[in-house]
Amino acid sequence: MRVKLCALLAIAMTLGMATPSATAQGPVILKVAIVQQIDSMNPFLAVFQSSTEINRLMYDYLTAYAADDQRVTEGLANRWEPSPDKLTWTFTVPEGKKWSDGQLVTAHDVAFTYNLMLNDEVARTANGSFVTNFASVAAPDDRTVVIRTKAPQVTMLALDIPIVPRHVWEKVPSIKDYANDRMPVVGSGPFVLTDHVAGQFIKLKANKNYWRGPAKYDELHFVYFQNSDAAVQALTKGEIDLVNRMAPAQFDSLGDKPGVTRNKAQGRRFVELLINPGAQTRTGEPIGDGHAALKDVRVRRALAQAIDLDALVQRVSLGYAEKGAGLVPPVFGKWHWQPGEQELRKFDPAAANAALDAAGHPRKADGTRFGLRLVGRAGRAYDEQASEYLKRQLGDIGIPLDVRLVSDNQLNEATTVATYDLAFSGWATNVDPDFVLGLHTCAQRPGADGKGGTSDAYFCDATYDQLYARQLSEFDEGKRVEIVKQMQARFYDQVPAVVLAYENALEAYRSDRFARFTTQPAQGGVIMAQNGMWGYYGAEPAGRAAPPSSRGPALAIGGLVLLALVVVGVVVARRRKATAGERE
Amino acid sequence: MSGFLTRGTGRGGKTGFLAHRAGVAGAAVLAVAALVAVIAPLLIPADALDVTRVTAAPWQSPGADHWLGTDHTGRSVALLVAQGAGTSLFVGLTAAVLAVGIGTLVGIVSGHFGGLLAGALLRVTDFFLVLPALVLAIALSTVLPRGLGTIVLAIGLTSWPSTARMVRAQTLTIEARPFVERARALGGGHGHVIGRHVLPSVVPLVLVNATLAVASAIVAESTLAFLGLGDPTRISWGAMLHQAQLHGAVPQRAWWFLLPPGVAIVVVVLAFTLVGRALEAVVTPKR
Repeated sequence: MRVKLCALLAIAMTLGMATPSATAQGPVILKVAIVQQIDSMNPFLAVFQSSTEINRLMYDYLTAYAADDQRVTEGLANRWEPSPDKLTWTFTVPEGKKWSDGQLVTAHDVAFTYNLMLNDEVARTANGSFVTNFASVAAPDDRTVVIRTKAPQVTMLALDIPIVPRHVWEKVPSIKDYANDRMPVVGSGPFVLTDHVAGQFIKLKANKNYWRGPAKYDELHFVYFQNSDAAVQALTKGEIDLVNRMAPAQFDSLGDKPGVTRNKAQGRRFVELLINPGAQTRTGEPIGDGHAALKDVRVRRALAQAIDLDALVQRVSLGYAEKGAGLVPPVFGKWHWQPGEQELRKFDPAAANAALDAAGHPRKADGTRFGLRLVGRAGRAYDEQASEYLKRQLGDIGIPLDVRLVSDNQLNEATTVATYDLAFSGWATNVDPDFVLGLHTCAQRPGADGKGGTSDAYFCDATYDQLYARQLSEFDEGKRVEIVKQMQARFYDQVPAVVLAYENALEAYRSDRFARFTTQPAQGGVIMAQNGMWGYYGAEPAGRAAPPSSRGPALAIGGLVLLALVVVGVVVARRRKATAGERE
Repeated sequence: MSGFLTRGTGRGGKTGFLAHRAGVAGAAVLAVAALVAVIAPLLIPADALDVTRVTAAPWQSPGADHWLGTDHTGRSVALLVAQGAGTSLFVGLTAAVLAVGIGTLVGIVSGHFGGLLAGALLRVTDFFLVLPALVLAIALSTVLPRGLGTIVLAIGLTSWPSTARMVRAQTLTIEARPFVERARALGGGHGHVIGRHVLPSVVPLVLVNATLAVASAIVAESTLAFLGLGDPTRISWGAMLHQAQLHGAVPQRAWWFLLPPGVAIVVVVLAFTLVGRALEAVVTPKR
């Protein structure tokens, strides 16, 4: 066997195509494809999903979300206790946890991180929303962190803030200018950042001091790709081991590839269609130029009723999605809401037609009622395809759509200053539903200049806002779940947006090199983009070295033949040209 | 006209258009393409290209039902290529007309009047000449609202400088000839000289240039559409390539979705180039 392997290896080497596979001597490396750029490695500034994902590998939070069911579990702190009035929280940081440089993790590191954010506006850039309600943070001894809040806050066990080592960061003069690139970067997470070349790769090494025990392999590399097509190609060739965010067609194409295992997971994302409900600023001034008819909730309901969500799931998402309903995706089980028999809006163009007639928008002589603009992002597969369906389905109820697929910036601008009638949007949701629910409160509407809020759909509803305030201070989880569901029902009923689908997260990995990954949650969960680092941390290398790719030589020969053809073609063309010149 | 087609006998035979076999072949291809572009929208039922109405399975390989297979939504690729011919030819032609129109105007004016005006116009021409056309076109089509008009404008505005240079050179040569001097001496004004003498001598050159410009305009349209900057609601060959790439035709190994629009572009562009070359040979016979 060994001889055979050596021989194969020799052949591969002579062809200059030796695959950098995991051999017995070299370090075991998990190579992951990454498409999105990194905005910053500084955890106080990083907001891109890619950056926060890498920050999760480098730094622990105060608490974590378990891999199997996302319940709150031990992070840097292993015990926590709220005071009876819920205004003071005491966290205990146990002894024995170490930074990657060997120094002990103490409560002072936690207090330092939170206080830095309280005192320095720049340090609040990425995760400021978690600490706005904090009154003070103190560390009376090495083990205890005491946080006082201004009002009761239910998200105290979901503070997604990377805790940084005080002995490194207290020497940082300016957070704004600090790139956090003194390699290796000291952290407490399962991996240590050792190298980063923007747009090429990010290299991390397993942290031998990690308190849960080091990962089962040596290095974790993120390799950049221009697009997911290229990443999928690299996976089939064995250049990388793990890919996520695949398009349905790409996912399908990997079905019969040997050595590749696919993971179809319930995603945290939903896609929605915003319906401009008559956008207003925080002070009630109208903003933007949404169609007046959409202010009428009957019209919005009729539009929602005319959209065939099943067709969108089947034909646009090729079945890799679930039909949309409430704002919280089904992956967060207990918070997810489905309309009951009474509330459900079935796809029914006839009823939608009747409702529009009743709302005072009869069909004109040419069969139309009024036209609407639909804004989406050019180059996003979902928008390009779903817009065709919406155009047809709303056209059937007499509402012709003017589809405008624009660049990312133009779409952002249209939605932030409300110059849309209909627009595609989407959000990734967290374990705690507070964030996604908070997007739809009156207070999130922008100021007069269009800035200062992150309202998703310009929704402003007194009932919804009351419920939002109630769930924020409801510490009985059962009751809070009930309120959260009521909010989603209200949102569904008032339709400032139609949740179209919860997209599946489509991932694939080289199962000939890595036997298994930890998914979150355990059933139907994701490997990448988790609320945690379990996917990377729990990866287990396959027992044997991967056989060298047998397609390498074939490809090389194919390439040579192609090259020869091109050369011949060029020569012939030149000769022809020469003779043509002589002829004239 | 027949003179143009079969005119005279040069070294080794005829030098009229019909004598250039490649040019004739190109013209034949273009005639077919134009025919397809005109009749396709009339013959293809609307439902066949409507993603919400098609019933065929997506990603079918070529077979009896669908000669060129189906795309990611189940639409027939053959029908898409036929439908796309119209957009690609329309954009190619109008953009070329626009570019050559601007170029001719700038060329003649700067060649005829000379002086400060010519200097200014030539600097503008230089500016557009050194600017990478694709980058400028991308910038324009990003800023302006999406649509066919924008694409035509973006291509037209970026590809006129070479025509302007050439027309100016030709204008200068014509104006240096004695008969123009004679016309001037007899009291011919600017309008007379340009309209009666310069323009007729420049037109053949402009025609040749326009033919070649169509070819590059079609390529430019396909490039912009492929990059996702085209009119997304319209089917064109470049837009088909864009969708093939966007919806994963490569990992799907769906060559039938990538190859036909690509080949169509190559064939039509080649045809325009061949016709242009042949015209060039007819219009400016080498001595």
